[in-house]
Amino acid sequence: MNEHSDLPSQATPPFSTVLNTAAPVKPEAFSFSGRGGEYFRIWIVNLLLSIVTLGIYSAWAKVRRLRYFYDNTSVAGGSFDYHGNPIAILKGRIIAVVLLAVYNLAGAGGPLLGLAAALLLVLAGPWLLWRSLQFKLYNTSYRGIRFGFRGSLGGAARNFLMWPMLASISLGLLAPLAYQRFKRYQHSEARFGATHFSFHGSVGAFYKTFLIGLGLWLGGIIVIFLGFGGITLIQMVQVGATAVLSLVLMVLALYAWTFLAMPLWMTLLQNLVWNNTRLGEHRFQSNMRWGRTAFIVFTNVLGVVFTLGLFTPYAQIRMMRYRIESLTLLPASSLDDFVASSEAHGSATGEGLGDLLDFDLSM
Amino acid sequence: MSVLASYYDGRTSRRHQVTLEVVAGVAQVRGEIERDCPIGQLRVSERFARAARKVSFPDGAYLEIIDGAAFGELLQETGHQDSLVVRLQQSWRHALAACAILVAVVVLSYVYLLPLAAQGIAATLPVAVDRQIGQGTLEFLDQHVLAPSQLDARRTQAITARFQALTAPLPDAPDYQIVFRKSRIGPNAFALPSGQIVVTDEIVRLLDDDDALMGVLAHELGHVHRRHLMRRLIQSSAIAATATVLFGDVSAVLANIPTVLLDLKYSRDIEREADDYAIAMFKANGLPRQKLALVFEKLESAGKDGPVSPYLSSHPANDERIAHILGAR
Repeated sequence: MNEHSDLPSQATPPFSTVLNTAAPVKPEAFSFSGRGGEYFRIWIVNLLLSIVTLGIYSAWAKVRRLRYFYDNTSVAGGSFDYHGNPIAILKGRIIAVVLLAVYNLAGAGGPLLGLAAALLLVLAGPWLLWRSLQFKLYNTSYRGIRFGFRGSLGGAARNFLMWPMLASISLGLLAPLAYQRFKRYQHSEARFGATHFSFHGSVGAFYKTFLIGLGLWLGGIIVIFLGFGGITLIQMVQVGATAVLSLVLMVLALYAWTFLAMPLWMTLLQNLVWNNTRLGEHRFQSNMRWGRTAFIVFTNVLGVVFTLGLFTPYAQIRMMRYRIESLTLLPASSLDDFVASSEAHGSATGEGLGDLLDFDLSM
Repeated sequence: MSVLASYYDGRTSRRHQVTLEVVAGVAQVRGEIERDCPIGQLRVSERFARAARKVSFPDGAYLEIIDGAAFGELLQETGHQDSLVVRLQQSWRHALAACAILVAVVVLSYVYLLPLAAQGIAATLPVAVDRQIGQGTLEFLDQHVLAPSQLDARRTQAITARFQALTAPLPDAPDYQIVFRKSRIGPNAFALPSGQIVVTDEIVRLLDDDDALMGVLAHELGHVHRRHLMRRLIQSSAIAATATVLFGDVSAVLANIPTVLLDLKYSRDIEREADDYAIAMFKANGLPRQKLALVFEKLESAGKDGPVSPYLSSHPANDERIAHILGAR
């Protein structure tokens, strides 16, 4: 990377040039130093201890795993740190198991009771996601400053329950809008110390991305369907063995195409979300490429299947490494000036409960 | 020995260039920040191959080590030792041993531990739970696959009365109810967790032998009496949970494949157990065991003409079962 900033001028807000004179800033790429072989050893030891202790160790395993990921992720000469307390996580998991058992028993106790339990779970969903976000961010730090999440419970209810429901009522027509609201809430309510993140992805941009992703996927499906369809329809009438064969081939082709289209989706969305996220006046850039993502996803699945699961840790590291290393921080000024927040954080049990269903919303 | 590090105070993101040295059990930070702290109060992050290590102070400040090699030597001098888990994780030999133990634990659990545990758990649950789960199943089947029986009511009453007069081979036989139905699924008989034993008209006509029919009923009563449905429910939940832990991160579809395949063995084990129950019941009531074997012979010959009976396809190999029945002492 050369000394002169090779960013387009609009990448930095005009007022930052004043600060630039004090500290020359250059793009800082994220790097990930985790490796499959090392993570395999951590994974297998964690797995053994978790199974032998009937799941109790899994809370410690989670902390070890996240520490490995965070410690190995660095940007601008500093690495991330994870502070989750295994006891809090264990408490949350015990409560989760009890709640799920109660939920299942309620289902057996009659349809009305089961329906009430299901409704309660749906209503509890936003609260759980909300606590989970708080827990995850509060326990993440960089350069000694903790992240945080200040969004309100009402916001969580709107963005995690109301919008998804509207999206399904509208038969998916509102899905891009719902997803934009979801990401906007998640990113714009996050903070790093006392500095807030902001989100600038427009609804139009989300519709465009959804249309490209969905359009390419559907287009491929139609091509495959027509390609096989003409032949199959004729043979279906005769009901021969060949009709079954081409039907199986068609389903396989559809499945394979969906498999290739999924990484496209992932790529477009990560780029869209991170290119529109700012931390104070600092920006991010994500340049994932579809071909590379598809290659990693495809080979990962092959690896996991043919090693009966032993390739899993390698697969996770490969994907994570590509996603993290596709990110670049574009600082507008020196990164030395963030200050910690003085805001209080939630109780330990609340944090543990937030970890309940272990939602992964990190990217 | 002094080690190069970055110091962050936990209040701002400012990076301070410092060196770290340990003198007489006290860590000395020197450079842009000067600070002393007894090493007993410091926490050192776990060792990973490429990640920078962190040394945390009680107040949230921490050092991010730049010179990893020198820090390793410093730790050795101060007598710091990695925890057991970290040492296991860092060695390929131990990781592979863990892998072997994991496979052994999983296989042993699958073959011995889980069936035993499921039996124990089912024994502690009241039978009412089984009944609750099975509630409504017969109504559902009546709407979709079954039709009212066309057998003579006197015939069905005679079969029921005869079976109820037999003594069960084990104490505390549960309540059960024998129901007759005409079906679209051919000659079949099955037990529901609600204690209902469904017998199709087709199997009654095919066997055309009341002794043999007693064998079918005894087998199904075995499923109810030994709580097979509850046990399989527990076993398949445990397998599904384990498969999700092992493969769930990668693919939900992938995680379900082992559940289906591994459940086959349990299905066979349970049929074998119900056969044994029927054998014991025949013995206790002085019925000829050949009649029990006749059930499978007739079902098999019926299967040769048409599609294989579903009653056989989910069960262990026929010849093996007949041999087992005739050979059992």
